[in-house]
Amino acid sequence: MISFKALSKNPFKSFLIFSSITIAVMAIFLISSVSQGVIGMYSKMIKTDGDIIITQKGIADTFFSNVDLGLLEKINALAHVKSSYAMIVGASPVGHLPIAGIYGVSKNHLNHYKLFKGHYPKEGQVLLGKTIAKQLHGRTVKIGNRRFRIAGAYKSDIGFEEGGVVMNIKDAGELFSRSASFILVSTDAPNNTDALVEKINKLDDEISVKTTQSFVKEYNQFKIIENSSLVISSLAFVMGLMGIASVMSMIVNSRKEEFGIMRALGKSRMFIIKNLFFETLIMSFSAYLFAFVLSFLILELLPHIDTLQGYMSGSLSWDISLYVLASTVVMALMGSLIPAWIAAKTDPVLLINQGCS
Amino acid sequence: MIKALNISHFYGKEQVLYALDLEIKKGEFVFLSGDSGSGKSTLLSCLSTLLSPSEGELFLEGQRVDDIVDIDTFRQNKIGFVFQFHYLINYLSVFENISLAALQDKKPNINALLKELGILDLASRYPNEISGGQRQRVAVARALINEPIVIFADEPTGSLDSRNSTLVYELLSKAREKGTTVVLASHDLHVQEYATQMIKMRDGKIQ
Repeated sequence: MISFKALSKNPFKSFLIFSSITIAVMAIFLISSVSQGVIGMYSKMIKTDGDIIITQKGIADTFFSNVDLGLLEKINALAHVKSSYAMIVGASPVGHLPIAGIYGVSKNHLNHYKLFKGHYPKEGQVLLGKTIAKQLHGRTVKIGNRRFRIAGAYKSDIGFEEGGVVMNIKDAGELFSRSASFILVSTDAPNNTDALVEKINKLDDEISVKTTQSFVKEYNQFKIIENSSLVISSLAFVMGLMGIASVMSMIVNSRKEEFGIMRALGKSRMFIIKNLFFETLIMSFSAYLFAFVLSFLILELLPHIDTLQGYMSGSLSWDISLYVLASTVVMALMGSLIPAWIAAKTDPVLLINQGCS
Repeated sequence: MIKALNISHFYGKEQVLYALDLEIKKGEFVFLSGDSGSGKSTLLSCLSTLLSPSEGELFLEGQRVDDIVDIDTFRQNKIGFVFQFHYLINYLSVFENISLAALQDKKPNINALLKELGILDLASRYPNEISGGQRQRVAVARALINEPIVIFADEPTGSLDSRNSTLVYELLSKAREKGTTVVLASHDLHVQEYATQMIKMRDGKIQ
């Protein structure tokens, strides 16, 4: 009862604590979710399209990989190969947009992109992702130094793909001067991929063959994104939590006079600590919930912002949500209860005088 | 009723009370006077258990204060305070401020006490919605609610006009008539009219 009164009758202080907790929690959620979202989109793109991935040996990024397209025929001849296709992944200025993803795909994989307008592209033609299509008008589009005719538009569950352009692998090969970035292979024996990996490996000394699962786990770019986002979100997290603790501590210190009066009236230390505990719990939990809902809405909105071309995406995971909730409440309680406990041990008259000074 | 033996107090290295001995009997109205800085507020704080003296012993109702296990409960049961600045809690109404101080069995008496002090109509108002004189009457009501054995008042009229000051003195005097001991520190010489015992302080010593 007193806890609610203290919060509602001091709206500015309550707002200050509420805002600082909300912003700190949102920063943690958004940074970690967006970076996980970027990784998630690329992983999904690779994992859903095949069981085995073949890239050039020793490259740090699929953008720089060059695999001989002629391998497709040899791979298709191997036992347990259900299907295979090659892909070039690149990025280039598209029309007036400074950069967009370009996906050059084998003809047999074009139908992976669900058409909602036009037809699949022939040579010299492109398909536009739903998001990028909203920003490009006209019948043709300039990509790099070449002009392509727009054949249609496609939808995808993956934001990366909706923000990109699909063309035949031959056109993409000319654009990026390579044969293929990687080859994806589907097998009819997904529980025994190791044998097939070994066989493919023997086809060419210059290739690296991995299951898509292990590729996603080991891919350097993902590690870089994951580590950078871990560092940034950890910093945001620590700074946010320090902010929460220091705001709580300042608020408690500004209430020394009140605690002194309560002690003078015969209220015990536990009474003061208990009320502050509930105040902190109410405040930190409600701010956390607000931040959670706000972050959720922002993350839902991000893929629909046309100017982001679908490259920003993210979702809140339960483990991060629970971890952040626990840390927020613990830090807020530490920030408020430690100074309150110290204050509660001080002689009441000194508290009252400190509060006045 | 109150017995102080060899009480000294230091703020850091500065000594403000010098080995004071003092005895106050039950039912007295004690006027503690002295110039600013003479140590009367510090003595009052020590006598009222709000400040632990650096040296010496204090006895209240025959009990050595240092031996009291639950000083908070003792304070709530036995002692009332009125400060110069009302020190009401700003986010609680007049009724709630008094209720916060009241023992469970005294809570039903709050409205009757407010009525007796002529401030019943202020019960639902907040401290920033009433005048300085009214706030101080609420502070007196808060000090009286548990029918304490002693009320300590530190410059209770320091921020009041003479009419409101007289009102506060009369309220405290009435409490004394009912058997409560009153110890009041003030610059205001009008307190002499109500006092039964005078203690004058100078440079941390009793004159």
